[in-house]
Amino acid sequence: MRAPILVPTVLRNLVRKPATNLFPKTEPVPVPENFRGQLKYNVDKCVGCRMCVTVCPAGVFVYLPDIRKVALWTGRCVYCAQCVDVCPTGALQMSDEFLLASYDNYDEKFIPLKEEKIEEIRKKLEEQKKAKEKAKAEKAKTEKKGSK
Amino acid sequence: MSEVNDNANVEKAREEVKEPTKAEKVAKAIAERFPNAQVEVKTNKWGRERVWVRIDRESYRELMRFIKTLDGEAHYSIGIEQDWGDDLGFLSHLVIYYDDAPAVSLLIDVHAPKDDPTLPDISDIFPIALQFEREGMEMVGIDFENAPDKRRLFLPDDFPEGIYPLRLDDKGVPEEMVHNAGHPYYLKGGAKK
Ligand code: SF4
Ligand code: SF4
Repeated sequence: MRAPILVPTVLRNLVRKPATNLFPKTEPVPVPENFRGQLKYNVDKCVGCRMCVTVCPAGVFVYLPDIRKVALWTGRCVYCAQCVDVCPTGALQMSDEFLLASYDNYDEKFIPLKEEKIEEIRKKLEEQKKAKEKAKAEKAKTEKKGSK
Repeated sequence: MSEVNDNANVEKAREEVKEPTKAEKVAKAIAERFPNAQVEVKTNKWGRERVWVRIDRESYRELMRFIKTLDGEAHYSIGIEQDWGDDLGFLSHLVIYYDDAPAVSLLIDVHAPKDDPTLPDISDIFPIALQFEREGMEMVGIDFENAPDKRRLFLPDDFPEGIYPLRLDDKGVPEEMVHNAGHPYYLKGGAKK
């Protein structure tokens, strides 16, 4: 019987160093440039154009009409980066984070825009609105006085 | 300068040898044999020709047999069921004369009205068609007469009778059957508190 042709290869590899990465004892294999890791949302840059809601294939975004921002849940994201490409202000960016295992689907780290922040923006908008109305009313008053 | 000339020559040569392509020959053969069929050769933006045939259901089986006589090696690729509103359609894609490229790509479209959604089965001519017909039966509710196997193919056994997932009308999947895992913004009462 002929020795299988793989035998020399096996013997050679027996004396070589293993070609494995001993994660988590070492750093993971480095990610390449333009790697698509977890999505990051910059709420201050967002202008509420809803483009991301339209292109996302995975239903990550919920549009919040009263504050013109989006509520995200990246637990559902498929890392296609279509929202990043379409966002006109650069409010959405892919990071290089990929170690995202969690015990909870609704973990904080999957929800970039928190409920408290949403409330804060709501309050701020309300105050702005009130201030505007006040200014308007005052302006009207002074104009009345002036015409007298 | 010479490039311009070359291009002109190529154009000229093309015009001179304007023989019917394989696809055009097939289209002609079908149109002659089936005067009732609507036959059209369409060219897409990459120059690929396809022969589209719309046939009535009475001549459908005959046409399929005729394709077998055109090319005994005819390859049945796929059958696609569609809801056209008043009609249900079944579109078969076949490839024939594929010994030398480009092969002739042939699309056979046959419709059945929704109040009588029956079409003849052709799985005795192209055996693989049966799998697509089984899908057509469960997804839009076309009844393929005399099909040797009418069991469901993809839908689970406990899926209700008389509901066809790809129908666009009231026989389609009702609202109550649609589930969504939900978005935390809604689940946590963000929108409707
Ligand atoms: S990367 Fe893709 S899946 Fe993820 S949020 Fe953006 S569009 Fe949606
Ligand atoms: S596409 Fe960008 S700016 Fe527009 S709503 Fe989405 S995140 Fe905001």
